[in-house]
Amino acid sequence: MLSCREVVNDADQLLDGELHWRQRLSIRFHLLICHNCRRYVRQLRMLIFAIPYMHQRASDEEVSIIMAGIVSSEKSDA
Amino acid sequence: MNKDKLERLKNGDQGLFAELVRDHHRALVALVTPIVGTSEAEEVVQNAWLKAYKAIAGFEERAQIRTWLGRIAINEAKMQLRQRKRELLFSDWGNQDLNSDPLATRFAEDGHWQNPPTDWHVDSPDSLLMGEQLADCLERLLTEMPTNQRSMLEMRDSSGLPFEDICNELSISASNARVLLHRARTQLFKLVDHYQETGEC
Ligand SMILES: [Zn+2]
Repeated sequence: MLSCREVVNDADQLLDGELHWRQRLSIRFHLLICHNCRRYVRQLRMLIFAIPYMHQRASDEEVSIIMAGIVSSEKSDA
Repeated sequence: MNKDKLERLKNGDQGLFAELVRDHHRALVALVTPIVGTSEAEEVVQNAWLKAYKAIAGFEERAQIRTWLGRIAINEAKMQLRQRKRELLFSDWGNQDLNSDPLATRFAEDGHWQNPPTDWHVDSPDSLLMGEQLADCLERLLTEMPTNQRSMLEMRDSSGLPFEDICNELSISASNARVLLHRARTQLFKLVDHYQETGEC
């Protein structure tokens, strides 16, 4: 029987689909009886989904610097 | 992004491309900073945007746009290093710090939860890390995170690069990369958990 600590250590690989079926099975079994780990895995999944949105959006100034660079390189190519 | 928008983008619509820049620029800067350093990251990403604009017609829908842009930015960063005849900025990729797992204190000695996660209440998952109050703490956490952990987080979770590619790029073992990613994710988990529980961080 896995401990909660072990489930937490393996949860990353579980969510990335990188575990052997036998390891998956023993985690699933633990999750059936442990609501704390169920919550951990569910919220970790949520967190991983949210990470691509963790950066602030670029400022108007940053965007216009990039776009000015693109416009001038378009001109020099033409 | 819907099909019509994507078509216009691929046909060189500059307004739509500017939106792309707005959404992804900061993520790309964060992605290349560990490779080329803070002072050159902006320049590298600016060049990457030029390349991306020229190549956008070839973007294939089944890829994630962030991943596609991330690859271009990383190639640009590597080219910059070659031109300057420099090595990967930091050479400590192999030496992960040995500080303990961020969640270590949450378990009892027998390995069961002593202080289990709180139940998070989130309207939509993409807003989980966007709370105004959370923003400063998140920024601080990311800045203070060891560079190799931060890089794993940016490459794998923010940009969606495949695990194998990252290990190859950085010449680190899969098990090492796993530990780094786990550390980075659990630090974020702990931050959000605390914020969800107390309303502050
Ligand atoms: Zn458990």
